[in-house]
Amino acid sequence: MSSVIEQIEQQIASLQTKTVQSNTGSIIQIADGVAKIEGLSEVMYNEMIEFPGGTIGIALNLEEDEVGCVILGEASHLKQGDEVKCTGKLLSVPVGKGLLGRVVDALGNAVDGKGDVDSNESYPVEKIAPGIIERKSVDQPLMTGIMAIDSMIPIGRGQRELIIGDRGTGKTTIAIDTIINQAKINKVGEASGDPNFRPVYSIYVAVGQKNANVARTIGVLEETGALDYTIIVTAPAADSAANQYLAPYTGAAMGEYFLQNGMDALIVYDDLSKHAAAYRQMSLVLKRPSGREAYPGDVFYLHSRLLERSARVNEDNGNGSLTALPIIETLAGDLSAYIPTNVISITDGQIFLETDLFNQGIRPAVSVGLSVSRVGSAAQLKVTKQVAGKTKLELAQFRELAAFAQFGSDLDAKTKAQLDRGTRIVELFKQPAFNPIPIEQQAVVMWAMQNNFFDDVGVPKMVEASVSLREFFVDRKEALLTSIREKAKIDDELAGQLKEAVGEWKSTFDL
Amino acid sequence: MKKDKQIKEFAKKLLRLSLDGEDLSPERVDGVLQALSKNPPRHHLAVLKEYLKLVQREIAKATAVVTHAGSLSPAAIDAIRSRMTAKYGRSISVVASEDPSLIAGLRVVVDCDVYESSIASALSSLQTSLS
Repeated sequence: MSSVIEQIEQQIASLQTKTVQSNTGSIIQIADGVAKIEGLSEVMYNEMIEFPGGTIGIALNLEEDEVGCVILGEASHLKQGDEVKCTGKLLSVPVGKGLLGRVVDALGNAVDGKGDVDSNESYPVEKIAPGIIERKSVDQPLMTGIMAIDSMIPIGRGQRELIIGDRGTGKTTIAIDTIINQAKINKVGEASGDPNFRPVYSIYVAVGQKNANVARTIGVLEETGALDYTIIVTAPAADSAANQYLAPYTGAAMGEYFLQNGMDALIVYDDLSKHAAAYRQMSLVLKRPSGREAYPGDVFYLHSRLLERSARVNEDNGNGSLTALPIIETLAGDLSAYIPTNVISITDGQIFLETDLFNQGIRPAVSVGLSVSRVGSAAQLKVTKQVAGKTKLELAQFRELAAFAQFGSDLDAKTKAQLDRGTRIVELFKQPAFNPIPIEQQAVVMWAMQNNFFDDVGVPKMVEASVSLREFFVDRKEALLTSIREKAKIDDELAGQLKEAVGEWKSTFDL
Repeated sequence: MKKDKQIKEFAKKLLRLSLDGEDLSPERVDGVLQALSKNPPRHHLAVLKEYLKLVQREIAKATAVVTHAGSLSPAAIDAIRSRMTAKYGRSISVVASEDPSLIAGLRVVVDCDVYESSIASALSSLQTSLS
């Protein structure tokens, strides 16, 4: 009991002597989630400002005699003349592994009803990206589980690959598939007990999305068991523009925790078009000068400073990585609009999804001609290079020939064979949503394609044949799949075994 | 927008004329006001309002507003004046008033800076930390 009394006495002593110094100001105008404040002579750029009732704001416009402050959260109780205080702190959010499996808002507060987040560390939301000396070139693959991407547009750990396309072309699906695939790989890797295995944690940032869509995404991740490896940061359409502006930076701060602690992480920004629109709204209310399409002058920097934070750092700095998959929504396939061209120039490649392909039933609707990965084969496993090295070229030739074939002239046998092969490859790359394919199964299917095992399969039966081949290997040739995964290349011995196994499958498949 | 900027610039010039060194001089302010009434500028009312705002800010910078619960001795007021004058490097005058809502202790406000050592503020920060 005496310790309790001592504690109270200490508290009284501190109350008697403590002088609290603060820098204050008063609200002179408040509208549209933005407050103009007089005073705050010592405020810093991006500093957190404390409003009455615990509401937080960020100082964004430091002018000669007033401060423009964006209010995060509820502002209806604030009025002109209210006293506000500087906090001396830049906006920070909780980070760490305790956030995995949780859904948080732009300030890092839990919104999933599972109680407070378990975190004792916080990172500032705005941070300068790693410099040149700290970085290392991207050379480790990040498997999306989507055959068309892993074989032709490989993504590496630390890369920024843009997913771009019109509404309803499956942009989010590709990102979610990638997250699910990371979780699957993590589970296999952890079960294997390999000490060198590096799991990839995921962060999904939903900006300006409908709550129903976010709930559906969470449902899919939960169903597939990927939520345990994922942090979801949400600033839905109903949130203020300030929260939508902030959410990607919050996600980046959470990703940086993994990057700086020698781990690998993947971050999806869904989507940066809505993020730019939220920033435009905020800037116009702050009375910043507007430029093209009414976006403020620093809209390029808005995205470049965010995406530059994704990097692969060298061994001296922990060897971690943060891979970014930003998403951009185009209007009527217009790639030359302001925000799409900005983000295309910032990222290391793009996956372009076409509405026409989607409507033809080619899903994922990846346009092979317009999609590119600037990291390229440096971030591709040898096994993928072996089986898919020529595929992009074959598909390009197929498209060229297909255009000529439309004239209806007679075709020679060689051209016809090339067309048949191209049609089959297109069919082979069709894949249902939320069903990523492990790399060893992809390798088997691509190997069978390269070695002409599908040539006598009818085009309408290609998808069925591919599924059947994968099921055959999973059920009956598990050891062979494991060898491919572990060796990560197909040597003569494996090629012999594959030939035998695929031949065996073919004898059971009804052509 | 341009008009506002011109008014602000003009009001700032008037304020500079009202200063005697670093301090605001009542005589100079009087002189400025007389000159303005003799030769009213464009947007006279707006200029005067802006000038008032700047003068108020200048006065706030040179005044320590002390609110206290219970009595405050003249020696304590002198101590506050000398400490604040030394801290800000300009002559600070003290205006004291009693505020029982502080419960005990005092609060000193100089321009934007608030120095608070009162039971009321300690209780409120305790409440914030507990909630």
